[in-house]
Amino acid sequence: MTATPPTRVVADLEPASGVVQAVGRRPADVSRRRGESLTIFVAFAVLYSVIGHWLVVDLHVVATETLDRFNRALMVTADDPSTLAAVGVDYPPLAVLLLVPFAAVPSLTASLAVVPVVSALFAAFTLVTVNTMMRRALVVLPVRLAVLAGLGLNPLVVMYAALGSRDFLWLAFVVAALGALLAWYVTADIRFVMVAAVAFAVGTLAGYGSLVWFAVGLVMVAAVLARLGADGTEIEGTTVGLAAPTVFAVAVWSAFNLVVHAEPWRWVSDNRDVAATGLADQSPVDLARGTADLVVHGAPIALVVLPALLVAGLARRNGFALWLGVMLLVSILVPALATATGLTDSPMQLEGALPILLVSVVGGVWLARSAVQDNTLVATGLALALFASIPWTFSAMQTFRHQGLERAFHDAVTSGESQEGARAVDGSLVGYDAEQQMADYISDHVDATGSILTDDASTYAVILLTGAPDLFLDRVDRSDEAWTAAAQAPADPVHYLLLSTDTARDELSRRYPAAVTGDDPDLRPVFTNQRYVLVSVPDDDRAGEQPPSPLTSPGPPADTTDDPSGATPR
Amino acid sequence: MSAAPTRSLPRLTGGVEPCLEHALPEGICRTFRVMPYGLHQGRVLVAATDADDTITEHVVTERLDRPVTLVRHTAAEIIEAVDEAYPPVEAEVESPQARRARMQMTQMLTRSGLVTAAELQRAMLEYARTGDPLGDILVSHGSLSEDVLVAALSEMHQLQRVGLAGFEPDYEIARRLPERVARTLQALPVAEHEGEVLIAVARPLSPEDARTVDEALEQPWRQLLANRSDLDQLVQRIHSHHYTEVATGFLARTAPASSAHVVATPAQRSVLLALVVAAVVCAVFRPAGTATAVVAVASVLYLLVSVHRIRLSLQALGSRLETDVSVAEVAALDERTLPVYTILVPLYREADIVPRLLRDLDALDYPRSRLDIKLLCEADDLETIDQVVALALPPHIHLVVVPDSQPKTKPKACNYGLQLATGTFCVIYDAEDRPDPDQLKKALIAFDRATDDVVCIQAKLNYYNQDQNLLTSWFANEYSMQFDLVLPALGASGSPIPLGGSSNHFKTAVLRELGGWDPFNVTEDADLGIRLHREGYRTAMVDSTTLEEANSHVGNWVRQRSRWSKGHLQTWLVHMRHPAQLLRQVGPRGFVSFNLTMATTLVLLMNPLFWTLTTAYLLTRWSVIQDAFPTPVLCIASVMLVVGNFTFVYLNVAGSLQRGDFGLTRIALLSPIYWGLMSYAAWRGLLQLFTNPFYWEKTEHGLDEPEVRPALDGRGSHESAPVHQTYEAHETLGAYASRVSA
Repeated sequence: MTATPPTRVVADLEPASGVVQAVGRRPADVSRRRGESLTIFVAFAVLYSVIGHWLVVDLHVVATETLDRFNRALMVTADDPSTLAAVGVDYPPLAVLLLVPFAAVPSLTASLAVVPVVSALFAAFTLVTVNTMMRRALVVLPVRLAVLAGLGLNPLVVMYAALGSRDFLWLAFVVAALGALLAWYVTADIRFVMVAAVAFAVGTLAGYGSLVWFAVGLVMVAAVLARLGADGTEIEGTTVGLAAPTVFAVAVWSAFNLVVHAEPWRWVSDNRDVAATGLADQSPVDLARGTADLVVHGAPIALVVLPALLVAGLARRNGFALWLGVMLLVSILVPALATATGLTDSPMQLEGALPILLVSVVGGVWLARSAVQDNTLVATGLALALFASIPWTFSAMQTFRHQGLERAFHDAVTSGESQEGARAVDGSLVGYDAEQQMADYISDHVDATGSILTDDASTYAVILLTGAPDLFLDRVDRSDEAWTAAAQAPADPVHYLLLSTDTARDELSRRYPAAVTGDDPDLRPVFTNQRYVLVSVPDDDRAGEQPPSPLTSPGPPADTTDDPSGATPR
Repeated sequence: MSAAPTRSLPRLTGGVEPCLEHALPEGICRTFRVMPYGLHQGRVLVAATDADDTITEHVVTERLDRPVTLVRHTAAEIIEAVDEAYPPVEAEVESPQARRARMQMTQMLTRSGLVTAAELQRAMLEYARTGDPLGDILVSHGSLSEDVLVAALSEMHQLQRVGLAGFEPDYEIARRLPERVARTLQALPVAEHEGEVLIAVARPLSPEDARTVDEALEQPWRQLLANRSDLDQLVQRIHSHHYTEVATGFLARTAPASSAHVVATPAQRSVLLALVVAAVVCAVFRPAGTATAVVAVASVLYLLVSVHRIRLSLQALGSRLETDVSVAEVAALDERTLPVYTILVPLYREADIVPRLLRDLDALDYPRSRLDIKLLCEADDLETIDQVVALALPPHIHLVVVPDSQPKTKPKACNYGLQLATGTFCVIYDAEDRPDPDQLKKALIAFDRATDDVVCIQAKLNYYNQDQNLLTSWFANEYSMQFDLVLPALGASGSPIPLGGSSNHFKTAVLRELGGWDPFNVTEDADLGIRLHREGYRTAMVDSTTLEEANSHVGNWVRQRSRWSKGHLQTWLVHMRHPAQLLRQVGPRGFVSFNLTMATTLVLLMNPLFWTLTTAYLLTRWSVIQDAFPTPVLCIASVMLVVGNFTFVYLNVAGSLQRGDFGLTRIALLSPIYWGLMSYAAWRGLLQLFTNPFYWEKTEHGLDEPEVRPALDGRGSHESAPVHQTYEAHETLGAYASRVSA
């Protein structure tokens, strides 16, 4: 006879009982369609790569910032010594590190052929994510394709997807996070919270702007759970799960800054987006007008989607619509807030419309899902609106006040002609012929490792186009101290100085202004063009310390070719 | 029941309403001779042979959940209707003789007042489901003592009884029946009288069994009925020497290469020695280069192990890899077809925990008459043995006393118990385990679904005292990742699974054929998982959990963990004795997976070294350390330091979230401290491998807080299953979203 007391036993499922989310099981979800996703990915990646190759390689439309990041990636892989320090702290780390695999073949990198490929891949991934969202929103395939085409062919999207810019590097992850949160809301599957968490963290390290969407997402998750009656433990556990990767990413990056630079927030203060020129001093009216211009010209569909989301959210108690409305509103306000708080010195750039456009599309997708029977109608409306905005936005790219390469992109696409030498709206020169000439000269005449002293902050494009960063002794190779010592007494370690003609930004040019103009009797130019000067360094001299003496080092043979761009071999 | 006259009511001969044809399960229809057939004034008319029987009325009313009127019919009429509703399968239908015997037993017990109507009703219901002997069911429910049942059977079958308590057997006579026959038939020769052997039997032997005895004995014999538990003890005693020999030496004798009785073979020792000597020589002549090489090798190994584990976890997060069995599938199982299931529970110095263990085993949703529970106690653990004996267990729970011999390990006890197992399937539970009540049934369904080569189903393990303190929370985090992510992915990828310490369900015959567990391996479970795989068998995971007690005391935890580390090293050494053979047997993927899984212990050993180097460098910027990390190595080490460490932390978070253990997620963020403890234990285990390889560091159980839980009938716990209902019924976010969007 058993003496065991008949007592209730804790079952495994008990901890999960009463929770709002689906745990310990897999709720129904859309089936995976790897073929469809792959097809969309490949189609857009190829499209953007081809367009990008045409624009970057043939028509010379590429941002200097893009060349800088690719040069850093090249330094990580092909410099001597190769070092992670090339990444720096003035860009978000993944804005450079994500390029490193693409810089594995220096000659390919130097040809700039990989430049559009990187942004194309991330943009294509973004579109795949949008497609998956639409599948979860039960949008039928033809309409999905129409929406993808409308979004994918938007000139802003095409430009930033094709020119190797860093926008899609982080936007791809933000959109993936939004897609994961949408999936979480639809299925209640907690795995999607983890996916969103990781996507936000990676996105943060690729672009600090992700932090804004992360913060809104975090609040939304907690609010949704609270509204559904989740207890404190579930809310806490879920938000910890969502926040942990991003908090960790920020903490580690700050710790890295602390160890290397003794300043944990160096990544904020040195961030190249942070205002340094006082352009941020704009009145509220200017900011409001700028915001309106941005939305109207860059992402006009937001004008329809935002009110629709807010109405659906408030009037129909559609929580996710309300949250997406808030997110879209934040997207719209972020450029103005960034300008007002001095977080950018490029106020209201058209670039800022890209996140607004993408969040608007996500909002439109959710509206389609919420429309149930009118799903197809709403999604078709979204596609039509996207198509209608294409010529409108394309036209705005030529004239918009604050922009980067939009006008050059517009002109290149409409004329099919090289934009080399064209001026952007902000007055900067488009193209890289001068860099290419100097790079070609160096490639042809210099082969000794570390023989060219240069300030890579100014001459990165030349270094990149040589495909041989090991030829240069730059500020990354050893340390700033070692580089400064070499700059003070260059004869011993190097044979040449590569100087930028823009002495304001080039530390080496500032140190040797006479060499830039060809007036230094010791540092004789061997090759010059409009933007760069390559001077030879006498072996036994200490420039600036000893009396001038004739050059004794065997300099490279002079190039006697007459160059129309102004390059002058001596 | 209606008291109204029933003569005017419609009869069964008018036909059965289609909606009522299967309203009662076949077992109940046949056992109680009832058949619902019509509706009359809001009541269900049920044909019954005994319309006045209150038990029948209760059962039928409860099942139909509507007002019922029992209408007297003849047995022939009812059987015909039942046969029509449920076409009879010959082997499953009770024969007239068996029915007569059962009725006779029922009458005997009720008339003498030995069982109450409620007890009989409960037993009859189980009989209706399982078809097991009613007497055995009553005994397993504790409604009847085994001695009374033996007396009743003796009366019915006109057989003499024999008392075996305190009996001193004649070993020569007792061993006349081969061990296998004695064990399977539960029959033991106890005396010889006038040329006739007297054989004690637990139950009257069938003619077929009698023939088996004839063939084995080759002389006249007569059966005497005995108490099943007493007989079981006697069989064990008679054959204990044989059992001990097999439990200890079978594997070492039949497959010495698979046994850890030798820690490292001479060849392995030579290789290890050569490596150490080479490293020392290199360190003397090229210290910097050697340091770099060692760091590089360690970093690459670290990276590979981490990538392997991360890949598995992500794979498990991405897809459902374990066998899912729904509540409905479990409910649909025909209990008449369930096999006997053996449960092996090794116990050592765990007297206090026995009542709790029995309570948790009692909650299992499995016919007790088909359970064969073996409590495996060591002979020198008198306290536990006394406790078990004092509880006067029902016959389906057996006390197995494992004779004192070396090595005194859990696997040896399990091997001992395995020889006595009568189940087609068997499972190991630890003393403090609380398996999901439906786990056995889920495992059977999982076996049924799996391919033939799957001979082991591993259930998930987790901890019920995860909130007790920081240590138990970390432990729960770790188990969530291991059993919810890593092992399912290993199983799905066809790689060898190092089994968990309990809740592994086996096909008993295959396990015996493989020689059971290695008694010399202190992580015999992990070893067995690899051995199964090498023999071409596979392991699958089932989505059912056994809750265990997490070690809540650091010292106790370290002892347990160092044993695991030592065992993993043992297991690696055993299976890497012939690497080429292993590669051939498990394939390249399995080979790599096995090595990377076992190398987790190496990572734990390396962790303190890397942490020390990093800290020392940050504090001193010592160039020697910098030189040991050339750029490629530095890249790997950096990735592992930042990304790798966080990924592991987050996988712990993910494992907890996946299970809904939300309270553990913030604790998971502190996992690196836990890794420090794990490393300490790993080093302790490594040292023990050299100093005391077979020593079993006993884990003390029962350290969690005492609990008070509301009483609930053991059998009913799974049936009412409020947690399931709550779980299924709660409004999910997805449902909410659907509602909103609609």
